[in-house]
Amino acid sequence: MFRLLEESGFTRVRSAVVPKFRFRKSETQDAAEAYGVKAVMMTAVKPGGD
Amino acid sequence: MTDAADAQASLEAMLKDEIIRMYQEVADKPQGEFHFFHGRDAAELFDYAPEWLDRAPPAAVASFAGVGNPHERSKLRPGETVLDLGSGAGLDAIIASWLVGPTGRVIGVDLNPSMCLKAQAHAAASGVSMDCHEGRMEDIPVADASVDAVISNGVINLSFRKRRVVEEVYRVLKPGGRISITDIVSAKQLSQSIVNDPKLWAS
Repeated sequence: MFRLLEESGFTRVRSAVVPKFRFRKSETQDAAEAYGVKAVMMTAVKPGGD
Repeated sequence: MTDAADAQASLEAMLKDEIIRMYQEVADKPQGEFHFFHGRDAAELFDYAPEWLDRAPPAAVASFAGVGNPHERSKLRPGETVLDLGSGAGLDAIIASWLVGPTGRVIGVDLNPSMCLKAQAHAAASGVSMDCHEGRMEDIPVADASVDAVISNGVINLSFRKRRVVEEVYRVLKPGGRISITDIVSAKQLSQSIVNDPKLWAS
């Protein structure tokens, strides 16, 4: 997603992990961790304006 | 279409049905059990202000199925126009409406028309209005360069065509506009068995 935002023209792309996110069911959480699945917050700006 | 394109279109159609079914179930039966945390527990986990959760319609809070808090960094200001991409039962749109105030405007977009009706009803019960349009995030039914900010919470990961979604978000933003999005990402390529299973993908 970070790369997609930059490639689409967004600037000031920032991301941070949502530290408290997890899946409710342990088997889902385990599978998610195996794939490096995490929740992130992303901010970015479309160039232009004032 | 090629066989591959046919297969992709078929998979996307199944995924759309599964997304509508799953999140409709969250809204209709919030006491149910899902793979993800939802409702007030999830919103509190992500540090939504308790006064927001007390003030919003209980059904909007109970149906919350986000993965973070896009308001933490949205910096919404009075008078701004905001798009909530995948607005669901409306909690994030309602909070955005409070932040932009009566001179601002909040537009929701959701795949499921009944969720749009639900979100608009919840907004009305909160004393604010929102326009909600049925539509796909790959073809956002909003004019070019018409919104100041896009918020979204746990939705873009559901699309098979994320590049297209990002391009659409870029299109609808005014120059200088911004995004504040919380979503799920994966460090590794998901296995084909997950990609081909709409139930797992929609989770």
